[in-house]
Amino acid sequence: MSVTYIDAIRDAQETLLREDPRVFLYGQDISKFGGAFKATKGLAEAFPGRVLDSPISEDAMIGMAVGAAIEGMRPIVEMQFADFSSIAFNQIVNQAATHYYRTGVPVPLTVRLPSGGTPGSGPFHSQSMEAIYAHYPGLVVVTPATVADAYHMLIESVRLDDPVIYCEHKFLYRWLKAPRINGDGLPIGKARITRPGKHATVVAYSAMVHEAVRAAERLKDEGGWEIEVVDLRSVKPLDIDTVLASIARTGRLLALGEAFPWGGVTAEVVARVCAEGFHLLDAPPRRLNSRDTPVPYHPKLWAAHRPTPESICLALRELLSF
Amino acid sequence: MPETEEAQRTRVDLDRDYVRDVFRAMLKARLLEAKLSSLYKAGKIVGGVYLGKGQEAVSAALGASLIQGRDIFAALIRDQAGRTAFGEPLLDCTRTYLGSVLGPMKGRDGNIHRGRPREGMPAMISHLGAEVSVVGGMLMARRLKGELGGVVGATCVGDGATSTGAFHEGINMAAVERLPLVVIVSNNQFAYSTPNDRQFACVDLLDRAKGYGVGGHSVDGTDLLACADVIGRAVRLAREGGGPQMVVARLLRLSGHGEHDDGSYVPGTMRDSHLGRDCLENGIVHMIEQGFATVDEIERWKNRFTEEVQAAVAQAQQEPTPDPWDEDWRACSSEPGGGI
Amino acid sequence: MPTVPILMPQLGESIAEATVVRIGISVGALVQTDQEIIEVETSKATMGVTTLCCGTVKEILAKEGETYSVGTLLGLLEVSEEEIARTGVDTMEAAADRRTAAASSPEEQEKNLHFALDDDSYEEAPAVVPSVKGLPVPAGTMGAHYISPRMRARMNEMGLREADISAVAGTGAGGRVTVEDLEKFLDYINSWPSSNASPMRLAVADAMRRSWTRPLATVGRPIRLDRVLEHRRNQDPKPGLTLYVLRAFALALVEDPATAGFLIGQKVVHPRAFDIGVAVQVEDGVVVPVLRKVDQKSLHALTNEYAEMVERGRRRRLSEDDLRGGIATVTNFGTFGLTSGTPIPLPNETLILGLGAGVKKPVWSDQVEAFLPVTEAELVMTFDHRVVDGGGAGMLLTRVAELLQEPSKL
Repeated sequence: MSVTYIDAIRDAQETLLREDPRVFLYGQDISKFGGAFKATKGLAEAFPGRVLDSPISEDAMIGMAVGAAIEGMRPIVEMQFADFSSIAFNQIVNQAATHYYRTGVPVPLTVRLPSGGTPGSGPFHSQSMEAIYAHYPGLVVVTPATVADAYHMLIESVRLDDPVIYCEHKFLYRWLKAPRINGDGLPIGKARITRPGKHATVVAYSAMVHEAVRAAERLKDEGGWEIEVVDLRSVKPLDIDTVLASIARTGRLLALGEAFPWGGVTAEVVARVCAEGFHLLDAPPRRLNSRDTPVPYHPKLWAAHRPTPESICLALRELLSF
Repeated sequence: MPETEEAQRTRVDLDRDYVRDVFRAMLKARLLEAKLSSLYKAGKIVGGVYLGKGQEAVSAALGASLIQGRDIFAALIRDQAGRTAFGEPLLDCTRTYLGSVLGPMKGRDGNIHRGRPREGMPAMISHLGAEVSVVGGMLMARRLKGELGGVVGATCVGDGATSTGAFHEGINMAAVERLPLVVIVSNNQFAYSTPNDRQFACVDLLDRAKGYGVGGHSVDGTDLLACADVIGRAVRLAREGGGPQMVVARLLRLSGHGEHDDGSYVPGTMRDSHLGRDCLENGIVHMIEQGFATVDEIERWKNRFTEEVQAAVAQAQQEPTPDPWDEDWRACSSEPGGGI
Repeated sequence: MPTVPILMPQLGESIAEATVVRIGISVGALVQTDQEIIEVETSKATMGVTTLCCGTVKEILAKEGETYSVGTLLGLLEVSEEEIARTGVDTMEAAADRRTAAASSPEEQEKNLHFALDDDSYEEAPAVVPSVKGLPVPAGTMGAHYISPRMRARMNEMGLREADISAVAGTGAGGRVTVEDLEKFLDYINSWPSSNASPMRLAVADAMRRSWTRPLATVGRPIRLDRVLEHRRNQDPKPGLTLYVLRAFALALVEDPATAGFLIGQKVVHPRAFDIGVAVQVEDGVVVPVLRKVDQKSLHALTNEYAEMVERGRRRRLSEDDLRGGIATVTNFGTFGLTSGTPIPLPNETLILGLGAGVKKPVWSDQVEAFLPVTEAELVMTFDHRVVDGGGAGMLLTRVAELLQEPSKL
């Protein structure tokens, strides 16, 4: 018996629906059908009238959720794919994100974004949108990498009074399993040292945490390198203290992300480390992201588009050799 | 036009207090906006000034049909009259325009972007059509809480907003959910400077109501009594479970897009046409003719409102403006992890 | 028949790729074990790629003139089963079997963060196995003396400069001194006897370290002091030898002031006045009081001024103004009995002139056809080679020597 990442997301929603009458789910195909990824399987039956199918209207979906949140509800909106949230961009960044600052009334809305690449998904079902949303003041952006985080951070997201962009990685949905949902009680806004080390720090989030751990294991076998892996968990707020503490131990930084390379979370991490922790650095910080093209469809191209343990090892070797 | 005829027929049935409410809101809004315009021209206003001149009858009829404390009213750019009729204090307006830190937006947002979301008055964003789904969501919340009975949510848009995806998505969603939503489309002939023929190609925007599967109503927006009648009825239908209602009002914006705009693109023939009639001047005649008010009463109202406006302006002007050192610069109410 | 890969070998610690210069085989050719079949060139050398076993060339994938990274498949050999058994070389088939086995084992699939690739033609790029800890050092990015921001911060914290860590052996990437190396070194020297450096010592150290950032060169030549010594005997008070040199130096510089110029970026800054300092040894250091307008003052006038300055210097009573604004320095290390030296100019000066101790020597005279006793001393000059060249410095030195032969004109 084990729990997958998607099970954890489903279970968290079940817990939330059961425990908080203000919670309801809104999204395309999520009711009887149970969602494109089955993240809401069985919930419509268990909670009649609280798991609602929406029209294919991403803008209106978020507008509706904002309205409901203003009225005190705790909507969870499922975007079928993170990529489609571009249609709802205006409502997310202009309506939801500005609302508390403008009016003093918070918008407790959670948007679930099935994010990231999987083989064969192509340019419009693979995107990682966290950097776009993290750019806007007024949003919390979380990127769980473990089964337990998928569960606990979704619950915490819904309990927060502010709009949360919950980026769940599609590649982890069924691959990532845990015997049960544990938790270490880390709140949103705190990063986790996934793997301790002393020669270099890899700062990663979401699915890239696992790739970083794999790369770290390879380098350990290869040359006895001890690579520390920091899982940001939430990209906004960004726990720069934990990152700096790690670099104080290692002196070297690789910021790793699956999103496109221009700007973004990895650039933010590097900029802050340079600004606040220059004196800790033994080498110029490095970034590793996907390539600067749309996410390609063919698995062979896709596997070479995103960072892999091979490319992470390469980047780390160069970092270690500086 | 059948609606107009119908309006004529039912005028006598109109509730006297309701019509007087509509008219007083129109008058107060007109006086307030004239003052705002003059403050703008004196350099006293922070940012722009956007007036609802010529659209007061439509807006006030909606505001007066709604019940403050129960209903939801997402006012838009030209809804001073509706806001007043709904019950928004004059001070909310003057404080926001004059940048008082005591206003509902505390200087963080201005002019027509003000609101009190917890009191059923969402604060609009500039992106047109975006409020339709927000009001829909507020109604959804009431439904989920079991508090939807007898509630109406309403918003106003212009002809330009009907071209947006958000408008379409929002009204379609409301129709799917059969929400008690009233959407007023004030077709004032120009979206900023763009005329109707560059905005849409359908014969009448009212036809869209059929496409969305919502109730459709057309009204002469220059006619106070017609507006009171048609819009009042649309709100009633929504309240009684008739699903979303869309009202298309025909009128002309009697100001520029904002006070920085002289509206020179509006042809003189249009100004001189029926569309260009001033709903307030025309309304005064109707109010007196139909016995809803006397000349003296209107004069008294005018004097009283002028004083109220002056007092609201004077108070807001004397109040402190926001101090960057006191601003908390926080965009989130919670700060998980202690900051960004 | 099994196939054996011909791979681009690792040709050195820091070599990641090599260029194929010549392919000495063709498809169908028989090759012997250890035969050099492909010539490749790295940034360091030309080398041969050799075979691991006998076989027939099945395919050549490499092209002459192309560059391939280490581990790239350059070609394939067909090799008999017997030969495989004999040499134990790895074959393509065996490698493919291993991959299939790995892919079909459930644990492996579980571990695979990507996905099961059904396309056999996809190969994981062979990892470059590092042969040394510290890994290949990209050329040109640093040397053993690179100091990272982290190392710099720790050194600043401890008040250390580059010169202070010259004794520390680096174990970091490319031989860099790491914070750990430094701490170890400091621990190590902790048990040695030590004393605190005086502020004077630290001031001199700082000035010398700053000066040493420039390319300094020293030239020297002998001068005869007999005429100066004779002249000096008849003076009252008697000027020191240093003052003769100082005065001659000033007059020589007046003729070519740019020699004492200072290079800042694209500009040579010329002296405004011929103010020249004199190095005075004091307790635990050196001070350099400056004599003003040496070119315009008589030797006599300078004598008193100099004596007073030296006296104040020894009593540590010199003010900031006394030490400021010199364009060059004269040092008479001869007073310590030293005959030669390579003095270092102050960091804000381009030139320093040094005088060694006078030595009596027999010199052949054609006139009297006999050895005559003369007093000779070494006159040396250290200069910033960015501003002055050996020839220019030599001419200046020669001019000073000439002027010293006519002491009455000084």
